[in-house]
Amino acid sequence: MLGAVPWVFAAGLVGYALVAGGYMATVVSFALIYAVFVVGLNLFMGFTAQVSFGQNAFAAIGGYSSAVLTTMFGWEPLPAMLTGVCGAVLAALVVGYPTLRLKGHYLAMATLAIGLITYEITVEWQSVTQGYMGISGIPPLGLGKWTVTSDRGQLVVLIAIVALSLFAAARIRASRLGRAFFAVAGSEEAARALGIDVARYKLAAFLLSAGFAALAGSLFVHVVGFVSPEVYGLHMVILSFTMLYVGGIGTVAGPLIGALIVSLLPEAFRGFKDYQDLAYGVALILLLIYAPRGLSTLFRRREARS
Amino acid sequence: MTNKRLLHVAAAALLAGLAATAAQAAEPYKIGISAGLTGYAATVDRAWRDGVEVAVATVNARGGVLGRKLEVVVEDNKSEPQEAVTVYRKMMSSDGAKIFISGCVSAGNFAAAPILARAEVPSVLCSILPQQADQAKWMFTTLPPAGFEVLTRLDYLKNKTQIKKIGVLHDPTPYANLQKSVAEKMTSQYGLELVGVEQYKQNDSDLSVQIKKMQAAGAGAILKIGLGGTTLTAAKNIKELGADMLLLTSLEDLEVFKPVAEVLGDKFLFVASPSQVYDALPDSAMKKAIGEFLTPWRAKYGERDPNWASRGWDGVMLTVAAIEKGKSFEGPAVRDAIEGLKDFQGTTGVYAFTPSNHQGITQNSFVLGQIINGQVKVVQ
Amino acid sequence: MTAAAAAGPAEVLATVGLTARYGSIEALAPTDMHVEDGELVAVLGPNGAGKSTLLRALMGLVTNGGTVRFRGRPLPRRDPVAVAASGVVLVPEGRGIFGPMTVAENLELGAYRLGRDKAEFERRWTRVFDLFPRLKERLGQVAGSMSGGEQQMLAIGRALMADPKVLLLDEPSLGLAPRVTAEILETLHRLNQGGLPVILVEQKAPLALKLAKRAYLLSVGRIVATIDPREITSYDDIAKHYFA
Repeated sequence: MLGAVPWVFAAGLVGYALVAGGYMATVVSFALIYAVFVVGLNLFMGFTAQVSFGQNAFAAIGGYSSAVLTTMFGWEPLPAMLTGVCGAVLAALVVGYPTLRLKGHYLAMATLAIGLITYEITVEWQSVTQGYMGISGIPPLGLGKWTVTSDRGQLVVLIAIVALSLFAAARIRASRLGRAFFAVAGSEEAARALGIDVARYKLAAFLLSAGFAALAGSLFVHVVGFVSPEVYGLHMVILSFTMLYVGGIGTVAGPLIGALIVSLLPEAFRGFKDYQDLAYGVALILLLIYAPRGLSTLFRRREARS
Repeated sequence: MTNKRLLHVAAAALLAGLAATAAQAAEPYKIGISAGLTGYAATVDRAWRDGVEVAVATVNARGGVLGRKLEVVVEDNKSEPQEAVTVYRKMMSSDGAKIFISGCVSAGNFAAAPILARAEVPSVLCSILPQQADQAKWMFTTLPPAGFEVLTRLDYLKNKTQIKKIGVLHDPTPYANLQKSVAEKMTSQYGLELVGVEQYKQNDSDLSVQIKKMQAAGAGAILKIGLGGTTLTAAKNIKELGADMLLLTSLEDLEVFKPVAEVLGDKFLFVASPSQVYDALPDSAMKKAIGEFLTPWRAKYGERDPNWASRGWDGVMLTVAAIEKGKSFEGPAVRDAIEGLKDFQGTTGVYAFTPSNHQGITQNSFVLGQIINGQVKVVQ
Repeated sequence: MTAAAAAGPAEVLATVGLTARYGSIEALAPTDMHVEDGELVAVLGPNGAGKSTLLRALMGLVTNGGTVRFRGRPLPRRDPVAVAASGVVLVPEGRGIFGPMTVAENLELGAYRLGRDKAEFERRWTRVFDLFPRLKERLGQVAGSMSGGEQQMLAIGRALMADPKVLLLDEPSLGLAPRVTAEILETLHRLNQGGLPVILVEQKAPLALKLAKRAYLLSVGRIVATIDPREITSYDDIAKHYFA
């Protein structure tokens, strides 16, 4: 079964990191956090074929909610994360309701603005976010007395969360909701003609993607223990887009494969020193030329015909 | 087994052990640098790195420390906290870095602080320190207190000018904010009045709105706090507005200041570290310490600004002194030894660390400089 | 019910002064047309006459004015979801199938509004395969990889999954070989014989006129004639009668 190749590859990499620990565990941990983020992005951009350049805003809301609630108000990480996710979904509702009626470039510009505005807020609202100083001393994931501080422990928790996220994405894809997303992606007019409320499903996809983004943002601060505005900067948008396209937009495995590959590539080229970015760029271009629909689709030829 | 054979075996084991120890001793002591070689911190952090490397070469040339050579591992953190965590981990687990002498990306150093504390790896930094006591315990900085740069300027205005009202123009970086709050607290103690505090962003291309406000409030001098091209922008705006104001800026690469001086002439003053005005310094212990650094530095880099590099040099020399004092390369021992360093003459001043103070510079060695006809002068 | 009575007992779908505009451009002049129970009505006209616009205006997919009446009750104007919910279902121009999805998923989307009624779903599912046995063989295939004719069958099958009370078709013959077109129109005929009212937009007039009970002739955004197919069977005839 060739379709299992991406999963075996991902499991192998993550398993290796779990055994090897150390530096590899750190790189794979960040990759998994990004995988959660990209799973959400994929719901909106892959399944529903909409564009958002502002998902980093929701990651920032999740991350800063976690950071502020745990350090300033002494909350437990779990309720803080939950609050962050709810806050991000609420923000997505407020922002998405008017902007999702915009078409094409307008929507893209509007989402870009959301990302930039949120970044400015994290810089300027110093009494809460401490600006560029950032917030340190954020407690690690855990419940009550039981906390996850070791690299491997954190990796195990992240593996579980990514597995759940991918499972959720697969379930959504196979559900009525997922089919409606794909219908909107395929042809908004045809979807409308079938009685599918296009605006509602766009909004639903947007809210879900914001939820995943916030979860990822929040995981980051609890894993690292620190947050500052740069964490959720524009580079997050660029990185997550790269992951989505390299892994395979619209597929279930794509976000995980993309996150792993795009996180590991620069590390593989670290020995190139000043030419690291160049090698990374060339590798990305080659990937996009030879696997234009993403790595996870490479092993899927003709499976649909069976 | 006969006694004789036993003796042979013991001798062999002893020899093997000795050989192993010797090999261990010969293995270099790894110094990691997490530096923003690209991104916003690139200018500062590349200079810092070069300073560290010049220091390591100098130490190795005189035989290393306790018989071991030093070796530098540098990784680019792209001026971003997440990258910093990755490269710190890489240098710890793949390269075996035992101490970090890292650059000025404070967010990156903060993000890695919990890991460093858990692994009991000390660091001597270019940046400010984290506020968590358990994290700051393992970190030291070569950075003079933020207030020194401000007080040097306030002192000048009080003693050498008739100006009574001043404004502060700053960017939103942590270090600039620290200086700003010192200015807010201290101005009145110098008999001056702070009539405006304005913020700008590092990529702003016009500051005339902020400057006009301060001009309207009667400010006779602007304390500009923050790095980069905005200093030249501010100078041009002041000239365009025809404002009769002094511009006093923070510490910066002298290269940046040359065009600024062409715009404002003697109305432009800047805080300088002693290494930047070495030739104008009177003979002293500090001048001698700076000279030890500047000789190899100038041999390699000529007239390149020595300010940040000199602090990187100090970072290495402090580490070497701590290892020699504690006679150990182990993280906790090195950390404890740094805490015990007193009266250490560096290129930026005298360092004196204590368990409760990890910011070693406690006396202000900054001077105020000017560039007149292309020549750097110390304002007396 | 008075409205229905006034409009005649057999009327299913009717427009009264229906207009459409794209931005500031009027694409459809006020139009009155209707389809009766069991009728197949053709809408003919050259390229750009506004045939597709008429169907899109009926569905509320474009900015429209005037009234669309379904069994005597006016339909909401700019709400295709509500129009579809009332049983007016469109097979759009170019088929509008969802290419990356499988045939089965496309069909399931047709029954989107049905919810969880398994029995009804099975009834519709079976009916589609009665009409298009070929689709049953292709259930797992990605829709975009099928031939044009098969895609058109899928588009109609998907519309049937919505259990339409009136079926609107926009140029089903577009880009298809004559033999395939004939096959599809034959199926349409069977559907119509089964009692389903159909509005068929076609550029190939002779084909449509063979099936239609009545035909509207559209030109430059307005109905210029209502035609009785028994009198006229070719474009040449149309040209002779109306543009001469």
